[in-house]
Amino acid sequence: MTELAFDVREVSYRYNQVAALNGLSMQVKRGERVALLGANGSGKSTLLRLLAGLCFPEHGEITFLGESLTEQRLQDEEFFFGFRRRVGLVFQNADVQLFSPSVFDELAFGPLQLRWPAPKIRERVGEVLRAMDIAHLQDRAPHRLSGGEKKRVALASVLVLDPEVLLLDEPSGALDPSSQARIVDFLVSCANGSKTVIIATHDLDTLEDIADRCYVFANGRVAGEGTPLEILHNVELLERAKLIRPHAHVHGEGVVQPHPHVHRHEGS
Amino acid sequence: MLRETMHIPDGYLSPSTCVSLAAAAAPFWYVALKRVKSAFDARLIPLISLFAAFSFVIMMFNLPLPGGTTGHAVGMGVASIVLGPWASILAISIALTIQAVFFGDGGITAIGANCFNMAIAGSLVGYATYRLVAWRAGLGSARRVVAAGLAGYTAINVAALCAAIEFGIQPLLFHDASGAPLYAPYPLRIAIPAMMLGHLTLAGLAELVISSGMVAYLQRTDPGLLRLTAPDAPVSDDRSLTVAARTVAARTVAVRQMPTARKLWLALAALLILTPLGILAVGSAWGEWSARDFSDPQMRREIAAASRNHAPPPAAPRGLERLSSIWTAPLSRYAPSFIRGAAFGYLVSAMVGVGVIIVLALLLNWVLARLPAAAGRRRRKSFVEKTARGLLEATGHALFAEDMAATSGFLQRLDPRVKLAGIGALIVAAVAVHRLWVLAGILALGIVLAVVSHIPIRLLTARVWLAVLAFTGVIALPAVFLTPGAPVWRLPLLEWPVTQQGLRSAGFLILRAETAATLAMLLILTTLWTRLLRAVRYFRAPVVVVAILGMTYRYMFLFLATARDMFESRESRIVGVLQPGDRRRLAAASAGVLLGKTLQVSGEVHMAMQARGFRGEIRLLDELQMRPNDWLRLAAFVGAATLAVWLGR
Repeated sequence: MTELAFDVREVSYRYNQVAALNGLSMQVKRGERVALLGANGSGKSTLLRLLAGLCFPEHGEITFLGESLTEQRLQDEEFFFGFRRRVGLVFQNADVQLFSPSVFDELAFGPLQLRWPAPKIRERVGEVLRAMDIAHLQDRAPHRLSGGEKKRVALASVLVLDPEVLLLDEPSGALDPSSQARIVDFLVSCANGSKTVIIATHDLDTLEDIADRCYVFANGRVAGEGTPLEILHNVELLERAKLIRPHAHVHGEGVVQPHPHVHRHEGS
Repeated sequence: MLRETMHIPDGYLSPSTCVSLAAAAAPFWYVALKRVKSAFDARLIPLISLFAAFSFVIMMFNLPLPGGTTGHAVGMGVASIVLGPWASILAISIALTIQAVFFGDGGITAIGANCFNMAIAGSLVGYATYRLVAWRAGLGSARRVVAAGLAGYTAINVAALCAAIEFGIQPLLFHDASGAPLYAPYPLRIAIPAMMLGHLTLAGLAELVISSGMVAYLQRTDPGLLRLTAPDAPVSDDRSLTVAARTVAARTVAVRQMPTARKLWLALAALLILTPLGILAVGSAWGEWSARDFSDPQMRREIAAASRNHAPPPAAPRGLERLSSIWTAPLSRYAPSFIRGAAFGYLVSAMVGVGVIIVLALLLNWVLARLPAAAGRRRRKSFVEKTARGLLEATGHALFAEDMAATSGFLQRLDPRVKLAGIGALIVAAVAVHRLWVLAGILALGIVLAVVSHIPIRLLTARVWLAVLAFTGVIALPAVFLTPGAPVWRLPLLEWPVTQQGLRSAGFLILRAETAATLAMLLILTTLWTRLLRAVRYFRAPVVVVAILGMTYRYMFLFLATARDMFESRESRIVGVLQPGDRRRLAAASAGVLLGKTLQVSGEVHMAMQARGFRGEIRLLDELQMRPNDWLRLAAFVGAATLAVWLGR
């Protein structure tokens, strides 16, 4: 039996009186790649922050590897460092994640806080810089990076700790096709079960490559669950979650005919 | 220019004054750090950093003021209203430090003084004013808008008063053997009215506009942000409050009209009259002898003592005597007796004198401001455009400095610690020496360093030498006439004496400011901020401070870009000319949007830090190692600085 990485049970969370999550339940197994689908404001980012132990649910419970994730539990230094080492979150807004003066400092930040010895930090940071193909940027200040470079550095700043669980908030949002392909390639490389990956996205095009299983969110609740193919064929569900919209367009030289559908390219 | 009068440059204050003020600021910083840490805990670093970056960007805003002028605000009113006084002290101090170290705005040796005046005195007074005036008014009440405006106005004026007092005590305490003041040349009776004139009118209004405008904006959009410094305000339903706040704010902005240009000029005239009255009221202090004093043997002894036993000229400066009589002469027949008295004559001549000096200063400033940019057609720019341009320029300057620092040259190759300590020592020497030729020697050394570091002299000319001349030159010019001493030449017609002491004093001020600014610019243009931070860390600066400085600089760019986008998109949508009130509201609303973004980003940055193991105690990698060669170079710098101080003692 595969162990559960995260077990989310009946979780509710509010931002200033506005409900973001509304009795949401879901499970993620170790080594699984799960996509969270949903329109803007459907609670994906909130859930990722709860999973990363940055906010805590008002009702319900979240467990990580069987251990309950609460504010008190994270006060414990040993558990805190252990958890941070194993769970990494890449924020949607790279500007928020890149707060250090240079790329090198950015990558060194996590290991430094986790009190790794300095020589080990230098070695590991160098390794990740090369692996992510950003070694030439190491002395660059964040305001001197392009959007795609920022995303790569943000991802690298989390990968430097080699976490077992990666939480990604729209990793390929607003990127050019080549930068997007790099991120997708990386996610494909995680398919062997080496990492548990949870990705919040509303990009349906790459779904089959990056995820083994999907949850569809609507109004702070799970509206549907299944493999990427099952979800992509459930037009009614996608429409309800506002991920697609019936629209009119022309096929070939045919008539204009309103019909909902999902664009996919077979065999990719 | 108005903004820069608040930012005391290097060379205006003696080293001992700078040290005393930094020492006076230290306990406030300590308490502020303690208090803020217990109030915000782990959020301290991102919150202060982001707010400092916000203050920095706010200082770049070109605020439309009554009378068609624009001004800059420091933002301590806003900061103390939203964050409370202690966090405001930290945020404004950091913003001022970055301005001094990275943009050459305000002296490096004067950081302590500037922080004391603006960050500490300004924040505390601004906060006290706001709390007192707002009292227990509701979060959405008009009273809070008025309180915020007053808070900003008093905060900047108290800061200006502190600066004026610091300037004013310089000539009393520091002059050379001939009696020529070594630093700021004007005594209290001139320094205080001269500083307050600009701040009670224009600069004060800039602060008033931004503080009241921001609070009015927050009342409409996010009144919860005002709760921190309004614990006594009645608690009401948030939703209804927002609606109520909206109507109230709209009404207040309409009712609370700014004084018109005419009123402003009236106030200026009143100050012109009051200035010499103040001088008269205090009697004869150093620097303000009346014509009669020069013939009174008792007074002559006092003047001599005050001028370090330099005998005053045997007769009163002829100009002063003549001016006094010019104004009383035509009136003598018909006027009541008091008008014919010498006191009235002196009063009027002093008024004219102050007026002439102000006009001269404005003229010189106008001419110099147009010198480097003589080419190209000038047209009147809207404040939106000006602000957008200013923001773009600030980013441009910073990026240019980074590019410059990446090239290879003598200073660029130098270890950052050697550079920081070495150039710092030279700046201190430039501020400490008492001989003009030694000062000229340090400036020459600076130019040599610029040449071997491939820094274009044209750049130094435009960005340092002319800019400093335009500012310090204007301030130093009247000292040529106002400093008592041996006359070497007389101005035709007015017969104002140009004194030898006055010339020396103006020379000291200008040369010191030029030298220190040149050296500071060398440091800025040849050092990457990241390397500078590591150097600061090496010198045992608290890790929290280094982390905040780094983060402030980083988000400064983000906010500069955000603010620029905001103004540019406004500009593209504005058709026709905005009314002054609309312009002020627009500036305040932009600042408000930026504030919202500041707080949101600071919250998210804190989460991003937590997610990677941050628990409130930051750790940095110290990786610089000093090599023997570095020590040698450092010794050379420190040796040169010590030699200069010894030669120029």
